[in-house]
Amino acid sequence: MDPIRKDEFDSEACGSKAPKSKPCPRPKPGEAAGGCSFDGAQITLLPIMDAAHLVHGPIACAGNSWESRGTLSSGPSLSQYGFATDLNDSDIIFGGEKKLKESIDYIAGRFAPPAIFVYSTCVTALIGEDMDAVCKEAGDRLGIPVIPVNSPGFVGSKNLGNRLAGDALLQYVIGTGEPEPELPPGVNLIGEYNIAGEMWDIEKLMNSAGIAVTSRITGDARYKEITWAHRAKVNMVVCSRALLGLAKEMESRYGIPYFEGSFYGAKETTYSLRQMAYLMNDRDMERRVDRLTEREESRLTQDLRPYRKILKGKRAVLYTGGVKSWSVISALKELGVQVVGVGTNKSTEDDVRRIADRVGDDTEYIPEGGATRILKTVRERKADIMIAGGRNMYVAMKEQIPFIDINQERHKAYAGYEGLLRLAKELTYSLANPIWKLASSPAPWDKEVPYDR
Amino acid sequence: MSKDRLDIPDYNTLFSEHRFVEQRLNKQQFEAPCSEQETAEALAYSQSAEYMEKNFNRKAVVINPHKACQPLGSIMAALGFEKTLPFVHGSQGCNSYFRSHLSRHFKEPTPAVSSSMTEDAAVFGGMSNLIDGLENSIALYKPEMVALCTTCMAEVIGDDLSSFIGNARQKGVISEDFPVAFCNTPSFVGSHITGYDSMLKGILSYLYERSGLQAAPGSGEETGEKLNVMLGFEPYTGNFAEIRKILDAFDTKYTLLGDHSGNYDSPATGEYEYYYGGTKLADVPLAANALGTLSLQKYTLKKTQDFISETWKQQVSALSTPLGIAGTDKLLEAISELTGLPIPASLLEERGRVVDALTDSHPYLHGKRVALVGDPDLLIGLIGFCMEVGMEPVHIVCSNGDVDFNEVKFKEEAEALLASSPYGSEATVYVGNDLWHMRSLLLTDPVDLAIGSSHLKFAAKDANVPLIRVGFPIFDRHHMHRYPILGYQGALNLLSQIVNTVLDELDRNNSGFNYDLVR
Repeated sequence: MDPIRKDEFDSEACGSKAPKSKPCPRPKPGEAAGGCSFDGAQITLLPIMDAAHLVHGPIACAGNSWESRGTLSSGPSLSQYGFATDLNDSDIIFGGEKKLKESIDYIAGRFAPPAIFVYSTCVTALIGEDMDAVCKEAGDRLGIPVIPVNSPGFVGSKNLGNRLAGDALLQYVIGTGEPEPELPPGVNLIGEYNIAGEMWDIEKLMNSAGIAVTSRITGDARYKEITWAHRAKVNMVVCSRALLGLAKEMESRYGIPYFEGSFYGAKETTYSLRQMAYLMNDRDMERRVDRLTEREESRLTQDLRPYRKILKGKRAVLYTGGVKSWSVISALKELGVQVVGVGTNKSTEDDVRRIADRVGDDTEYIPEGGATRILKTVRERKADIMIAGGRNMYVAMKEQIPFIDINQERHKAYAGYEGLLRLAKELTYSLANPIWKLASSPAPWDKEVPYDR
Repeated sequence: MSKDRLDIPDYNTLFSEHRFVEQRLNKQQFEAPCSEQETAEALAYSQSAEYMEKNFNRKAVVINPHKACQPLGSIMAALGFEKTLPFVHGSQGCNSYFRSHLSRHFKEPTPAVSSSMTEDAAVFGGMSNLIDGLENSIALYKPEMVALCTTCMAEVIGDDLSSFIGNARQKGVISEDFPVAFCNTPSFVGSHITGYDSMLKGILSYLYERSGLQAAPGSGEETGEKLNVMLGFEPYTGNFAEIRKILDAFDTKYTLLGDHSGNYDSPATGEYEYYYGGTKLADVPLAANALGTLSLQKYTLKKTQDFISETWKQQVSALSTPLGIAGTDKLLEAISELTGLPIPASLLEERGRVVDALTDSHPYLHGKRVALVGDPDLLIGLIGFCMEVGMEPVHIVCSNGDVDFNEVKFKEEAEALLASSPYGSEATVYVGNDLWHMRSLLLTDPVDLAIGSSHLKFAAKDANVPLIRVGFPIFDRHHMHRYPILGYQGALNLLSQIVNTVLDELDRNNSGFNYDLVR
């Protein structure tokens, strides 16, 4: 078994307010690396649905990324527009600040957003654009917040970008607004992006237990609700790698206690709801949560019965990042699926510890990407299914491995009790689909024994 | 299994349920304090002619772009060669976008690596990243050639690829004879088609120069027998098969210069390899002695065409994507002229069959007003095809259309082509505009059909126009790229797609007296 990776520079959780000398792990040149900091910052803030998101740079950073993430909106869709300053070579020589100013003015005038997020890119950072000044001037003049997000691609990995986006929220957004007085005290959900509508499932559960959501940071959020995030009673960090630092800083600034939790799997969901009620320090709420979770869990047990029969003893390789690396393991375990390999390259130390708590000694840790490495694990460990993101999906198909998409492109919500049921269904269907039998058997005339149905 | 199955809806239906609709309405208190009436008014205004004028006066911001950047095209070019690893020199995110983008279109893996430059590289230059990257990627992915391109970052700080590669050889990271082709592809200039051209030219000139064959032109075995064919930035793997079929019918020998159809249409055998198919590296220097070169994307392949005619001293026949009957006729004439071979009877017969199909369908297409979005060469082909069957192109938007071929700009050629037929009289060609401009056009001057990539679907939906997906990228439909659109067979495929969309619309919108069986 490979040892769990112990990078010297990775000994601090990436999301924590670690000293500058200990950033997120450096990407390794010559590998098929993941997203950059710009990508990370943008995907953290894009789910603020009513805001405009303007990319200051050449066309590609926006052109390659707009409309590519399955984060759903219940109303406004301004965040789905691809806005870019589209710098060309002469802008790079003479500077693009004028173009940026005009772009901001145009967006403010035509789309009247509650706020504009402006993202720097490699190019604008390298040529030394003073984005902060342009944004401040425009914001003062237009009377709306224009927020610079200083996260050019080259500063590092996607995770670092998530964290820089969190810094922008702390610096420019959180604490600038006040909720209506009648809004009940509630919980901030940090690092939940409403992929495939998961936030809505979670919200429904919280509502059933009478737990109010103060701010969604940022799944299906409205700009205004994030401005009063500092009035929440509790912070729940749903994806720890990304925005743990935000929660820590809010604890020290505003005294809001936080906990890290997940909604993948019944146990984790129950734990998260209980933890919220406990930290809210509300006995009634705790009792309501107990009743709700008991009811939901027993119903789920019933509903899952046919699937558990099929899934028991199946072996899976899980290749994903952040919170999903460990929380999906819990969900799979509840379904009787054994995780025989797990990716750790985007996990914090704490995540890895949590993985270790949840899997047996037989599980292989996959510290770095590359299709070969994952496929080797699938073959050696005789896995039945691979659970990973879109970029690995087509490799799995080539190898005729049943596959479930767990990352941002997916169209299924797996959070909460109903989400677990959906996951069970997807696993069963993917494993049972007749195409795998067809794909893995040779053509009839290639068989040594005559074709026999 | 269907009997005991629980019905758990996915988000397409789940969140339409009452409880979620209610939840959504509750959230409106946090939205900008606009009344429904104000929202409706604003929406109506955004559809007005007055807004369109403002929209077209917009200079600063691009809204919903319809072009990708140079390195994306360069990766596609690199994957057209045998066992070649595309290597993007710059910060890592770009590469991750390219891989996702290409994989989502073709539904296939995209092997490509990055030198993952970070802040220190921004200050001190990216040489050590490049050298480490070469060492790591060659060990990991075992390519027989690396094709190196740059991103904005490497370009802005001025990294010198040639000398960095030289230093890598000196350090012994790569051997003296390991091929590393390279080109500069800053994203703030041109678009994906420029990048494709730069990399193709980069690879051809590099392999040619290092082969030593140029010392004795005409000494290759295959002298003067083969034809070179380039498809360019080709989002259809089916087009490669179709062009092969046509060339085989001529019974001519040929070399496809850049053939990524292997990599993007590989079989599911149970074992994934990094590299499939592609032009053989050894074939490139021999291509210098070919009969001539046929280019099927003349605007895309500008630099490569110049290189071939100037350095290889070959006749280059450059066409735009040969769509429709007239487009394919031109293609066959060009092949015949370059090879001296007659046009095969089998193709004439196929032509007749497709012409027959076009006559069958023309009543449903005649006078249909169409909006078109795409790359320059594709648009020339599409305009020709539309007019051929009596459809009328109305709005034509080409974000990366500011290109020329032999000093004729794309816009001029498109306009001349439109002027050649009464069906083109209503058309306007917009170059350098984006899909938000197209939205205004669709709303103020409605059309019957929109033809373009998946990115056009939002504007098409706003305007309630059916979208026929043609071009790149097509993310939200499966397997479109497996069916050719060029050649006679391609014309038939385009025709079926278009006419059946028209018929679907008829059926969808008419449930009464004319919901009939025979059309």
